[in-house]
Amino acid sequence: MPLPLYYYLSITAVNILMSWALYLPYRVAHLHFITIANMAISGYAAGYLVMSLHVPFGWALATGFILGGLIGYVVSRFIGDAPTFAVVIVGFTFIFITRTVIQNLPAVGGTMGMFGLPNIGGNPESHRVIILAILYAMVVVVGWLIHRFDHSRLGRAASAVFVDPDLAASLGINRKKLGMLVQTASCTIAGGSGVLYGFIYKSFHLDFFTFALVGIFMTVIFVGGYATLWGTVVIAPILYGVPLLLPSEIQEWRVVIYGALLILVLVLKPEGFITPRFVRSIETFLSGKRRKRNISLKEVT
Amino acid sequence: MSNDARTPILKVQHLSVSYGHVNALKDVSLEVFPGEIVVLIGANGAGKTTLLESVLGVNPLRSGSVVFEGREISGLPADRNVRAGICLVPEGRGVFASMTVLDNLLLGAHHNMRNVQSSLLRIFEWFPILAGRKKQVARTLSGGERQMLAIGRALMSAPRMILVDEPSIGLAPIVVNDIFSILKRLNREGYTILLSEQNANKALKCAHRGYVLETGTVALSGTAERLLSDPGVREAYLGA
Amino acid sequence: MQGFVAQVINGLSLGSIYVLLVTGFNLLLLVAMIIHFSYPQVVVFSMYITWIVLQLTGNNLVLGIAAGIASSIALNLLSAPLFQKVMMKRGEVDINSTMVLSMGIGMIITDVLSHTFNKGLPIAFPDQLAGNTPLLRVGLISVLTGQIWSLAVGIVAVSAVFLILYKTRPGRAFRAIAEDPNGARLVGIPLLRTGLASYALSGILGGIIAVLLAMVLGSASPGLGEQVAHKVLAVSIIAGLGNLAGGLVVGLILGILEAIVQGYISGTWSDAIAFVIMLVVILVKPRGLFGSKV
Repeated sequence: MPLPLYYYLSITAVNILMSWALYLPYRVAHLHFITIANMAISGYAAGYLVMSLHVPFGWALATGFILGGLIGYVVSRFIGDAPTFAVVIVGFTFIFITRTVIQNLPAVGGTMGMFGLPNIGGNPESHRVIILAILYAMVVVVGWLIHRFDHSRLGRAASAVFVDPDLAASLGINRKKLGMLVQTASCTIAGGSGVLYGFIYKSFHLDFFTFALVGIFMTVIFVGGYATLWGTVVIAPILYGVPLLLPSEIQEWRVVIYGALLILVLVLKPEGFITPRFVRSIETFLSGKRRKRNISLKEVT
Repeated sequence: MSNDARTPILKVQHLSVSYGHVNALKDVSLEVFPGEIVVLIGANGAGKTTLLESVLGVNPLRSGSVVFEGREISGLPADRNVRAGICLVPEGRGVFASMTVLDNLLLGAHHNMRNVQSSLLRIFEWFPILAGRKKQVARTLSGGERQMLAIGRALMSAPRMILVDEPSIGLAPIVVNDIFSILKRLNREGYTILLSEQNANKALKCAHRGYVLETGTVALSGTAERLLSDPGVREAYLGA
Repeated sequence: MQGFVAQVINGLSLGSIYVLLVTGFNLLLLVAMIIHFSYPQVVVFSMYITWIVLQLTGNNLVLGIAAGIASSIALNLLSAPLFQKVMMKRGEVDINSTMVLSMGIGMIITDVLSHTFNKGLPIAFPDQLAGNTPLLRVGLISVLTGQIWSLAVGIVAVSAVFLILYKTRPGRAFRAIAEDPNGARLVGIPLLRTGLASYALSGILGGIIAVLLAMVLGSASPGLGEQVAHKVLAVSIIAGLGNLAGGLVVGLILGILEAIVQGYISGTWSDAIAFVIMLVVILVKPRGLFGSKV
């Protein structure tokens, strides 16, 4: 597999997963930026486990998920029903503190970072295959879980909380429990993604987990459409892939273009490109085709 | 007395206003002639506040027109209309609790600071209680004092027509009498008043004419005496 | 003891910058009804404009300062229609979209600064502006010109803001809208125009802050905007959103605390104080120490 394709596929998968990790809490209007900190914490922890303690990758990955979930759960006990502003601030704070702590910890390489993580499966080829397999398995599983959530009683409750929290509360919806659920889930996803992110490059560096990441994932969600999970799936590959095809002078301005896109979408098309209505019309179109096919089969027989 | 020869200072025609899917006002028409006190009576939710706020220019009109002093003001923003001579004493919200009495009054003159000092003197003459509490934060005033402040604040913009939304809400009966006598005094000084009231009895007793609003439409209208003696009105709104 | 006093003075000058920033932020929050996360990035951008003009005019301080203040006002006013468009949702104010919009603006500013001016390297302000010369010497402490200026201008600016708010006609309108936007509309206060005025005032403040930061720090970098933004948010959360007096107190105290810690513990740990305190406050007393006004 050519290297650029490997990087494109793997990074796109991480973008999808992390954008979903932000999509889920935003269903209840929470911009849960602490997920970036989760990436870093779980990632570095897993890297340390594998490199210094020679723990097998599988266990390290599991630790990454669990660590993410634990942190997400504990924090959600406080901010499960907090206003959006507070959730954002807590997220920023965690990112900052995490970065500061990692910077000052020689055990995980400090500002230099961790390099030369071992290949999973013994050689570079199988490493890449395994990473891609795990990543896309995650995409399928997480996507399916979120899809089930969206079309369940909980998903509808989340939509109610998003539109009018007070009305939702008066309908008997427990905002805090719902918030805790989505926040914990989102942090779990982020933890695992963080581990995989580093293992794509076989290194961990603070530059991977910056505040700029916040902007990138937000652009994906808002441009794609924050009301359905499909927006992320469609937009993430495009948003990451298209700049790669452009000349490097323009690529430098990637973040500016993302920012401009974000602002344009907010002003002109706040719901994003893939709206629930669009998804429904695709669904009816597809089921219509199926019906037509069934009818013509019936006619033949 | 026939009013046909006089032109109304306020003419509302076929006004319809909706909040989303709720039709708050349906085809409402009314007139107020200069020098009158006109009362809107009706139950909670009948549309009285919506009507006053729509005249002021706070709500977008679905259809219909509002003409003030011969000029069409439908759809114009509230601050334009305040400058043009209409003002509103809102229900329960006429004052800013965290600001002083003086600051509240000065806010009333926001659009016309030129004669502020003389306006202030007049208001303090009218409401000596307020003069004594100039520097006090509005939150510390009693209900009746706050209503006086709200009226005073409205007067600061030198209006020709005052809209008053439920002046008696939350006030003790004695205080309500004070407020109504203030309104009557203002009317004698030349201010035209359109007020909405749940306390139909007291309101009709000091008004010239009235309109009865029910679920967003005008159910009945006429002189105050006619409405006071109307059996339907008596039963529904006068507790008889 | 002398070292301690030096740190306190240092802290006060830093603190007055925090106070100015949080005041500008609170004004936009209370009157324009937006959450402008990237207000500090606009300030840093103005610092860069000042730097460019200084470079082009051979360190003409007057032009440089004027350019910085003008660019801050311009950026604020230009972003006003975007914020207005984004925050209106079915007649109610949607404050979360203003947050996201401001983050988009911040992204752009920070990245533009990383790629254009000085090729993304930190910029240094000339000595005439950067107040690196000691003005006073008391024993072993020297108080730098920059610190005196920042403290003095900070005091004047904050007093001016409070004066405007409490003694002038536009200030009364600001306070009315801050307390009750609907009530203000009913009284005939033009919300749109008054909101724009608050963008202008925050813009002026922003320009002043840009100049003061240039004096106190002597340099700027593309990442400065984000660093400062997080501090300002910390101050505003700890004091209570929209609480002007609280912001005054907390801003000064935070400045002093940071300066003291910087003297005894190295590096980025001093920044961490603000965040740890903020985290504790937001988890325990989410409306802030002095109560939030929104």
